[in-house]
Amino acid sequence: MELKKEKLPEALALLQSDARLFLPAEADGLPQFTVWDGKQAPCLSGNPPLPPKDVLFPRSEKMYGYNLSTGDVADLASPEKQVIFGIRPCDVKSIEKLDRAFLEKGYADSYYRTRREQLTTLSLGCTEAARTCFCESMGLDPADAPGADLMLNDAGDAFSVKSNSEKGEAVLARWGKLLTEDADKDAKGAGKDVSVHCAFKVDLPADLPERLTARFEDPAWAALSRACLGCGCCSYICPTCYCFDIGQENRGAEGTAFRCWDSCMFSDYSRMAGGHNPRPSKRERLRNRYLHKLAYFNERYGTTLCVGCGRCVDKCPAHLDITKVIETVGGER
Amino acid sequence: MSDQQEKMRQGAEKLLQNEEVGYVIGWGTTRFADRTTPIFIDTPAAASDFVWNEYAVNSLAKYLLDDKYPDKKIGVFVRGCESRALNRMLKDKQVKRENLYLIGTPCDGKKAGRCSLCRERNPLLYDVLLWEPVPNVPAEGRFDRVRAIEAMTPDERYGYWGAVYDKCIRCYACRNACPVCSCRECYVDMSRTGFQGKQHSRSDNQIFGVTRAFHVGDRCIECGECERVCPMDLPIMGQTQKILKDINELAGEYECGLDAESENFLGAFDLDDKDEFM
Ligand code: SF4
Ligand code: SF4
Ligand code: SF4
Ligand code: SF4
Repeated sequence: MELKKEKLPEALALLQSDARLFLPAEADGLPQFTVWDGKQAPCLSGNPPLPPKDVLFPRSEKMYGYNLSTGDVADLASPEKQVIFGIRPCDVKSIEKLDRAFLEKGYADSYYRTRREQLTTLSLGCTEAARTCFCESMGLDPADAPGADLMLNDAGDAFSVKSNSEKGEAVLARWGKLLTEDADKDAKGAGKDVSVHCAFKVDLPADLPERLTARFEDPAWAALSRACLGCGCCSYICPTCYCFDIGQENRGAEGTAFRCWDSCMFSDYSRMAGGHNPRPSKRERLRNRYLHKLAYFNERYGTTLCVGCGRCVDKCPAHLDITKVIETVGGER
Repeated sequence: MSDQQEKMRQGAEKLLQNEEVGYVIGWGTTRFADRTTPIFIDTPAAASDFVWNEYAVNSLAKYLLDDKYPDKKIGVFVRGCESRALNRMLKDKQVKRENLYLIGTPCDGKKAGRCSLCRERNPLLYDVLLWEPVPNVPAEGRFDRVRAIEAMTPDERYGYWGAVYDKCIRCYACRNACPVCSCRECYVDMSRTGFQGKQHSRSDNQIFGVTRAFHVGDRCIECGECERVCPMDLPIMGQTQKILKDINELAGEYECGLDAESENFLGAFDLDDKDEFM
């Protein structure tokens, strides 16, 4: 099926009629996933500096409210229907990774699950790879996101459209007469004929997790961490980083429990009661971040916690690079 | 430039050979030709890893705080901006001059927005100067953008800063890159005190912005690192420069880091102050 590009505003309006619709657009001078105002033109090239992670995992989220004198507790989870249009295959893959962390291994995070169940993803295949994109090396296809509910690919004056799920079928049904049959059945699209490749490649050895864990005390960690500023930039712009903190805010007898993003690169993240910090310096913190992404997550879930979106490579103020970590610590010895 | 790069490599190599320094901090290559990264070289042979080109944008001064008690001197390349940062760090007793070997490298300006305000391209302090000083380029419009913000109505101004801090992700890169931000423990990391909520909200983000501005405002050397590192490209020097502009207007010409003796404006006090309070 195809959706003519001129029909896009209409198609978006249909999505928006019963859900909150996020799409990449220029807002406040910055391309970002933003709630569509019904008029904005979506950015159809490139990927915004911040992933749409906070649609599922908000930067700050009120969990429940309570009253200390009455003992009342109220769940503040919001079961709102949400749609993301224009999410790239790397960010779709990152949601699959978050699913593993939040929903598997015997405990499902109810706040995440509610949002996840209510979310529909409409992915847009990439037509060009930025110089920092290395998703192909992480096993992805820049033009196909099997985990998206609906996959769209650029086919000239139209998007080719392919559904991957019931939610995707529902979108197709709703778009109904906006859709047309493929003009050219052999045209590239829906991942059939990938014409986009990442120029940026990294060799990912099959035994990388074992190598990295075995090199826990390797001096390369200290060397790599020296330029690091210990900020939270890389973890906050990463679509797969999911650490959070939980806190309370009280006003008299009333209070709310919230959770908010946190970063393992911060010094207070691992500080314990009494002041002891098992990760006292940048070396331990940086090592932990990369071991989590490239070894610990693999041990637990059999997959890497990095999708190769390249955001951290692009934005790190010290110009550190996860692929350099892979090569330096994980390389052949 | 390659001639200068050669001098830097040779200079560092000699210092390491003679064991005058334990290591030298400079710039090295990355995967991308238009980006460099700070490197820390401790063997003479590796001194050839140093590069010097228009992309050597990262300030090196802040890294000296990572090693306050070195066994041997630390060698570091210093341009105008690093030297001004060092003056401030010396005055704030964050580093000891005798622990440092400063290799002066006059600078022609790099490909970074932060260099557009630079008024001091030559290092103001050094142990050796690798080449002739360069002429300074008078930087125009130091406080232009502060004036533009001052011209707003209070509501516009609130809207302006509100929109800026709605975008802030509180990664604290601005704090961590700033050479004059040097508290051993930042109030931000004391989340249990309630000084600043850990939630990401407009108000808590703004509290961070305003507090950062006041904590560094009167010591700010206007190096622009905070804005360079901000992943959201936020114009946060509008706050620190507002403080500097006010000081300039209240107390006469004021600029930080030009020497290692001057008190910072808000830190200066006099035991014989006529005013009993403070
Ligand atoms: S690796 Fe880069 S982005 Fe991450 S904490 Fe260090 S300096 Fe910040
Ligand atoms: S670690 Fe870097 S490249 Fe990998 S998913 Fe996170 S931001 Fe993207
Ligand atoms: S660097 Fe930018 S985004 Fe990060 S805390 Fe500072 S102002 Fe906010
Ligand atoms: S506040 Fe910004 S401009 Fe001022 S010294 Fe710190 S990093 Fe430099």
